[in-house]
Amino acid sequence: MKAEAQALKGHLDALLLATLEDGPRHGYAIKEALRDGSGGRFDLPTGTVYPALHRLAAAGLISGSWSQADGRRRRSYRLTPAGRRRLAGDRASWLEFSTTVTALLEGAPWPATT
Amino acid sequence: MAGHDLIDDYLARLARHLPADAVAELADGLAETYDRQLSAGLAKDAAATAAIAEFGAPEVVLAAFVRQSPGRRTALILLACGPVVGACWATLLISEHAWTWPVPAGLRLAFGLALVAVVAALAYAATARTAYRRTRASAPGCLVLLLLDAGLLATAATTVPALRWPFALAAAASLTRMTLTARALPRLFG
Repeated sequence: MKAEAQALKGHLDALLLATLEDGPRHGYAIKEALRDGSGGRFDLPTGTVYPALHRLAAAGLISGSWSQADGRRRRSYRLTPAGRRRLAGDRASWLEFSTTVTALLEGAPWPATT
Repeated sequence: MAGHDLIDDYLARLARHLPADAVAELADGLAETYDRQLSAGLAKDAAATAAIAEFGAPEVVLAAFVRQSPGRRTALILLACGPVVGACWATLLISEHAWTWPVPAGLRLAFGLALVAVVAALAYAATARTAYRRTRASAPGCLVLLLLDAGLLATAATTVPALRWPFALAAAASLTRMTLTARALPRLFG
């Protein structure tokens, strides 16, 4: 869905890192985790997930390693220590931001101004 | 390959632009997507079509690779900070009357031409849309830029009579850019 894909911008890195929190995955499995974890709302074209993973790998947030699976070369990714720190930071920032916005949208009293 | 002409054609199209490792990774993902579609009960042709649709059109995939390539990203950063570094050096060169420095005219011309070539290479990489190979133009551009910064810095250091603020400003700008460029180089040539 295009609207959801648009909303994903700016959060994709954190979401990709989060899919690797429980262990290594390959590109297709990461895309599937993103789609399934979002109830199908974040269903990116699979081919566009790979360059994002390459960028995260170049930044040292994840690392990739090759293996053989079903007669094919397969690259799997895992979080690096720097990736774990980034994920923890992004998660804390998001929780703080979303808690604030939710409070405002759900009718918290606005401060009086003069 | 996944064993279907549509998929093989799709991968061959990507392989004309992308590095072999990236294509191998895409081939694995596409084969898995195809297998899932077959397992879901689709016939071979329908499964291949569905797998390709799920992966995205080649232009979409190529554009994503180009957009996130280290070559294009580095080129954009260097082009953005170029005017700032240039302004710092212009301040120094004007305040120190650089036209009186004992630098041969041929060397000045070579420096100017090399600088123009660097800007052209970076602009070529930065404006790539689906042509991944274009993003590689930033690698030689960065290397030459590193040499130009070092040369300019060495020339100024041996020519400017005393350490004054315009020199400190220009040196700081160039050293920052050299650090940035040197850190990017392994990714660009990798």
